[in-house]
Amino acid sequence: MEERLYDLIFICRPDTPEADVDKVISTIESVATEKGAKIEKTEKWGRKRMAYRVQRLREGYYVYMVVRSTQGEAVKELERRLKVADPVMKYLTIRTDEELKRQEKLKKHRERRAARRPRKTAAPAPPAAPPAGEPTAAAF
Amino acid sequence: MAEETGQRPQGGSSGYQGSGGPRSSQGGRPGGGPGGGPGGPKRGKRNFIRKKKVCRFCVDKVDYIDYKKAEILGSFIQERGKILPRRMTGTCARHQRWLTVAIKRAQNIALLPFAAEL
Repeated sequence: MEERLYDLIFICRPDTPEADVDKVISTIESVATEKGAKIEKTEKWGRKRMAYRVQRLREGYYVYMVVRSTQGEAVKELERRLKVADPVMKYLTIRTDEELKRQEKLKKHRERRAARRPRKTAAPAPPAAPPAGEPTAAAF
Repeated sequence: MAEETGQRPQGGSSGYQGSGGPRSSQGGRPGGGPGGGPGGPKRGKRNFIRKKKVCRFCVDKVDYIDYKKAEILGSFIQERGKILPRRMTGTCARHQRWLTVAIKRAQNIALLPFAAEL
């Protein structure tokens, strides 16, 4: 089965101590490895103001992770864990590998075009440029 | 002058420019000034030039609109939280498509509001 990449973001209650946040992260990591997934990246964004109130709170502690998995089951389990974890008040998982693939493709495409373009545009450009440049140079 | 007449139909089709759009500062009606050159204004026709709006993402050659960058996405929503239409921002169809997805994701994780709170 092919590998898939997921973004996983969760928001903890702002009053949770740092240790509890770390605990959530470590359980997530252990569950992931248990289910054959791999945590590629963990970023603690820290306390941020949320755009709207969640559980009557304005702020939340954001944690961002990137998960690589071949098993959809792993993500399912991770989501379940986040749902039952007490300090977590909101979470979101998004599959990103297809969009990243598209991004790569477009980038490659552009680079190829950029590599090809000089030959194509170099020929018509110089004849076009001098006529435009000379009259103005003569006028002023 | 040739440039101006060439531009006019394009500006017309890109259409209505609302208030509050991120580009409204440069659009709108430049109070009659630049259009009134010699032999320029025909009577009966509205005479203003609209600057053609360009897709901001195409200019920057963006291949992926990140839902995590709320500051950028925030400039494409109205004060009340609505997503701005293409005709106001000048975003191209493809990027608008990606943009809406990104905005909706950001809304889900409370990076952007669904609607303004009162």
